[in-house]
Parts: sequence; structure tokens; C-alpha cells
Amino acid sequence: MLSTIITHELKNIFFSPKFSVTFIVVSLLLILSVIVGIDQYQKAIRQYETTTQLVQQEMREARGWMSLNNKILRKPDPMQIFVAGVNNDVGRISGISSFFAVKLSHSTFSDDPIYAVFRFVDFAFIVTVVFSLLAILFTYDAINGEAEKGTLQLTFANAVPRAQYIVGKFVGSWLGLIIPLAVPMLISLLLLLLWNVPLQSEEWLKIVSLFAAALLYVTFFISLGIFLSTMTKRSSVSFLFSLVTWVCMVFIIPRAGATVAGHIITVPTVAEIEAQREAFSKDRWTEYEGTMQEKWKARNAPTQTMTKQEREAFRDSKMWEWMEEDDRDRKQVQVDIDEQAKKLNEDLRNRKAEQEYLAFVLSRFSPASAFQLAAMNLAGTDIALKSRYEDALNEYRPVFNTYKDKKQKETGNSGGFRIEVNSDTGVKIDAGREKGVLDISEMPQFTHPKHTFSDAMASAVIDFGLLGFFSLTTFAGAFVRFLRYDVR
Amino acid sequence: MNNQPLLEAVNLSKRYEDGALAVNNVSFFVKPGEIFAMLGGNGAGKTTTINIFLNFIEPTSGEARINGISSHVEPLKAKQHVAFVSENVMLYTNFTAIQNLDYFVRLGGKTQYTKDDYRKVLLRVGLQEEAHNKKLKGFSKGMRQKCGIAVAILKDAPAILLDEPTSGLDPKSGFEFIQLLDSLRNEGKAILMSTHDIFRAKEIADTIGIMRQGNLVMQKSREELSGENLEQLYMNFMAGVYE
Ligand SMILES: Nc1ncnc2c1ncn2[C@@H]1O[C@H](COP(=O)(O)OP(=O)(O)O)[C@@H](O)[C@H]1O
Ligand SMILES: [Mg+2]
Repeated sequence: MLSTIITHELKNIFFSPKFSVTFIVVSLLLILSVIVGIDQYQKAIRQYETTTQLVQQEMREARGWMSLNNKILRKPDPMQIFVAGVNNDVGRISGISSFFAVKLSHSTFSDDPIYAVFRFVDFAFIVTVVFSLLAILFTYDAINGEAEKGTLQLTFANAVPRAQYIVGKFVGSWLGLIIPLAVPMLISLLLLLLWNVPLQSEEWLKIVSLFAAALLYVTFFISLGIFLSTMTKRSSVSFLFSLVTWVCMVFIIPRAGATVAGHIITVPTVAEIEAQREAFSKDRWTEYEGTMQEKWKARNAPTQTMTKQEREAFRDSKMWEWMEEDDRDRKQVQVDIDEQAKKLNEDLRNRKAEQEYLAFVLSRFSPASAFQLAAMNLAGTDIALKSRYEDALNEYRPVFNTYKDKKQKETGNSGGFRIEVNSDTGVKIDAGREKGVLDISEMPQFTHPKHTFSDAMASAVIDFGLLGFFSLTTFAGAFVRFLRYDVR
Repeated sequence: MNNQPLLEAVNLSKRYEDGALAVNNVSFFVKPGEIFAMLGGNGAGKTTTINIFLNFIEPTSGEARINGISSHVEPLKAKQHVAFVSENVMLYTNFTAIQNLDYFVRLGGKTQYTKDDYRKVLLRVGLQEEAHNKKLKGFSKGMRQKCGIAVAILKDAPAILLDEPTSGLDPKSGFEFIQLLDSLRNEGKAILMSTHDIFRAKEIADTIGIMRQGNLVMQKSREELSGENLEQLYMNFMAGVYE
């Protein structure tokens, strides 16, 4: 009985006139996006490699160890083919030097704004928007459509248990939609192999998990469609409900989450922080001046009754003590100001983190957000990508600088000029050493931050759980509704 | 042949949620090899009665039994013994006649049929061979009706419920349909049929019931009716002459 219902539902989907057209279009879209993704990835890799070589070349040709600066490029990750995430927004390059803090700049979008205008339609986007819409369009009338057709009546004129029917309906629609959606996914895996995209087992695991998350997400919309089709008698009504729900989940809630979080937890702007720091600094210095005046009054007090000579002798004897004391106070002021700045920065970061957290919590009421977060976390193009790189860069910076200092001391070269006068060759001004002879073969190499499969899973597991939970509850809702559904 | 009633309404009443009393204390039975025709105007309560037999709605009081099984107490068991053809037979328009048959017959618990069996039954109900593998999209109401009856025949249940099966059929199809019913009766089926069609009812039914405003106001066997003018009786009942 169950298998009859399932096969029938499968046929019902496969034979429906909208089926072939939609699935051809969706498959083409997905495959196209993967091809474009592979192309962009390979371009990024080429750019990464040539620029890295260029940086090496530049370093070898540096004037001396003192002026040696490194540049680190963010290494393209094949996962960006599927989930662009923040990849195009985060800077791709950072200088490493003694004087400047690390800072990633030159993002894809800032270098090529055209990409920002026509944002890359990646796998995650297609799944989030197109797959979910498809799932809804094929299921919104699963039950009430049959009631309208009259086929539900004829079905239940037979000894068909309702539970079996709704389960069969769900499994049938699930297979009928998942199989066709899995086909372009499998094709995209073939494309990766065909184009020789370098994938380690870690990445394969990530991709498989990403696909699993996508299917779970689609499962939710299948359940939702069936659920809504049990909520109303008329399919035109459930169609409207489905569309509205879809728009809310895919477009409104994720953005509303961020907006609401922004209103609940306000994060001061950089200018506000700057102003606060300035104000504190000004207050602190004014206070210092005040105490200074008091101090000098006190210091001068005993001299009132002294003769001029006594007074000068007294001041001379106290001079060092006073100077040291004043210096200490001044330094204390600077320490206070620095501490305040640090505290402000920390506050800012904490509030930002709080806001982010709240935004994620709120937006996760939508499975679309849950899926997107899962996808980005799996791909490593999540919001933490920037800080992962910055942390790695900050770790590397002292290592690099130590190496540089050591080398400089060893060669005893200050990086200055050398002027050589030779009767044969004339005057030669040399910038310390020959160009291109700096031996950087022992230079410590930057290790790109690792984003392992278990890291990915650890951060994605909550969203997997949510997607599973959403799917289950909507299906349970459909199930319960259908047990009492009027089949006439 | 066992002569217990296969279809039986016992003091059946149905009051809808909005308060309308659609069926009021109706009792009748149909034995194997019998056709019971339920006559009545629109809104008389015929469909409601049939829907209670199929457990599409629960009776407010009383009971509908199929083969002795209460259809709202043990619906799944009861429905194994009944086939149903509705007023508007609606099948899957994107499936062929054979595919529709195959699905609904399987739901009816019959999995042993071959394509040839389907073909034979479709021919028996009068659907031309060319239409067997065509999608139902272009089928007329009569053709769909034939498919629906084929489903009912293939289910091979001892009882058959027909809700206004001849409405909308052309005279020729109507005639063929009556012949088909006759042959099913001869096979020993118990048939409950609702209809507006006095002439057909008179021609075929073993028992005729007249429903009016939820009441079964008359119930007479063919013998009791012989010599009576059914049309006149019907008009009188509808006008409430005997109340
Ligand atoms: N779902 C319903 N809710 C309320 N009243 C109904 C419902 N279905 C039918 N009725 C009412 O019950 C009465 C009998 O209807 P029905 O059994 O369909 O009559 P028939 O099939 O004889 O034309 C009518 O008055 C009709 O308006
Ligand atoms: Mg009716």
C-alpha cells in the first residue's frame, strides 16, 4: 500500500507538465553556477600564485633586511565554488612589517566592483532561493489539490490508512524532488573532477555535508508545502500562503533578524568610539593639569617665608624628586588613556559579538538562515574567515619580524648607503647590497589558517539540528492535520 | 449465497456543524443481488448518507454498516467490502486510463491484475480501446465515469455505492450503464445508488426509496410498486402530500 502511494506520487511529479521544464532550468542554473565558480576559483588561484611569486621576487630584491616587508595573500579555497559567503568581501592581501598592524585589504568586490553589482550566484544561493521555491511549488497543493480534483475522495473510498497516505505522499514528493535535485549536484562533482580542482578528503566531506544540508533544507520546504496544503481547503489559498511564507523565510526573517538585533543591541560607530576616547583623554589631561597646579602650590608654599637664595637652594634640592614625580604622573595619565582605549575597543568587540549572536539567533527562526549559516560554516567562508586569517597573520608577524631582526644583526647591515670610488668604474652608490641577493630561503613561511572538516561540522551542527527540527515539526503538523482532514 | 444485508443504515442521522439536519433517522438495507435506488431532489440527503457509509463524515447517531461492519467504528475494515463511484468521477488527468485504473485498484487492495484485465474491464464498461492509453485530460464526463465504474468493478467488492452515476451521461451511455448495473447485480453485488432519474430507477431497482429533507419518506419494493404510478408517487412525496 505504502509503496503504491509512493510510486504514484513519484509518477505524479515526473508526469506533471511543469516538471521537466523546471528541472532542466534548475539543473542548468546549478551546473552553470558551478562552472562559473570553478572558473573564478582557478582565476583566483592563478592570481594567488603569480602575486605570491611577485612578492617573493620583491623581497629578494629588497634593499636590505631592515626594509624587508612581506605580503601575505589569502589562499583561495575550492569550497568558495559552492559557497561564496564573505569570501569576496574580505580583503585578500595583508602586509607584514614591523611598523604596521596586519590588515586585510583589496577584496574582490573592492577591486572589481562589477562583481559586487552582479553578485555571484552560487550553489548556496540557488538552493536557498530556487530549490526552496521549487519544493513549495510542487507541494503546496499536495493534499487540498487532490481534494479539489476529487481524487482524495476516491482514494479514501478504499481501506487506505490516513497515516500511510500522508507518509507515502511525503516520501513520494521527497524522492520525486530530491532525486532530480541530486542529479545536477552529482554532475557538479564530476565537473570538479574534470577540471582537476584540487580537493582533499576534508573538502569532499565538506561538500557531501553541504549537499546533505541542502537536501535537509529542501526537505523542510517539502514538509512545509504539504503542511500548508492540509491547512486550507483551497489550493489557491495555500498557494498564496506558501508564497508569503517562502518570502518571509527566505528574504524577510534573515534580514529582519540582523536589523532587529541592530536596534536591540546598538554598537557605537568608530567615530563615536574615537570621540569617547578623545573626551576621556582631554578630561584626563585637564585633571592632570589641575593636580599639577595644586602640587606646585603645595611645593611653593614652604618657600613663601624663604629668602631668594634659600628658595633657589630648596628648589634645586627638590628638582629631581619633583621631575620624577611629575613624569610618573604623566605616564600614569598615558597608561590610563591607553587602558581606556583598550577597554573601549573591547566593549566594541563584545557588543559587536553580542549583536552578531542576537542577529544569528533571531534570523535562525528562518530555515533559510540556518541553511546559509550551515553552508558558510561548512565551506569556511563564514563570518569568522576574516578573524581566522587575522589571527594567523598576527601570529606570523612577530615570527617574521624576529627572523628579519636576526638576519639584520647577523649581516650587520644597517640598510644605509655605501659609496664606492673606483678609478676604473667611477663612483658607485650602492644601496647596501646587490639587488636580488637577499637569501630568504630560510624565511619562516606563513601557514594558512586551517579549517578542518571537524571545525566546519562543529559550527554547522546546530544548523543541521535546526533544519532537522523544522522539517520534523512541519511534517508532524501536516500529519496531525491530515488525520482529521475532510476528504470530501 | 449468504442473504445477510451487505449495506445497512440503522436509524442513521446526521446533523452538520451548522445545525442542518441532513439525514434524519434513516433505515434501510441492501442484500446481495439487489439494487436500492435512492430518489430525491437536491439537498435531500442522498450524498450525506453515502458519505457516512464511506466514513467521510461521522453519523450524529445511528450506524451505517457494510457487510455488518460499522463504517465509523472500523472504517478500514468496512471499506474493504465496498466500491464507490461518485457523481463526478475525478481521476488523475495527467495519467492514462490504464494508469489510473492500476493505481486505484491497487489502493483497493487488488494487485494481481494484468494490463489485459484492465483492457477487458474497460471494454466491458464501454471505453473504446483507443482511449485506454490516453491521458484523461481530454476525456468527456461519460468517459471518466466509465473509468470510475471500471475501478469499482475491478475492486471486486461485494457492495457498490453509486452517487448519481447517470447524471450528465448521454442517453446511450445511460442505457449501457443500466445494462452494466444489471450484470453486476446478477453477479451478486449489493448496489446502493442515489439518483434523480425516476425512469432509470424504476427500470432497474429492486427497491426504491424516496428521500426528502433528510427523511426516507417512502421505501417500496418492485413488487409493491408494480401497478403504481411512480412518477405520481414521487411528485406527491416531494410535495409532502403524505405528511
Ligand atoms: N458540509 C456540509 N455542511 C453543512 N451542511 C451540509 C454539508 N453538506 C451538505 N449539507 C447540507 O445537507 C443537506 C443534504 O445534502 P446532500 O446530502 O448533499 O444532498 P443530496 O446529495 O441529496 O443533494 C443539504 O441541505 C445540504 O445543504
Ligand atoms: Mg448529492
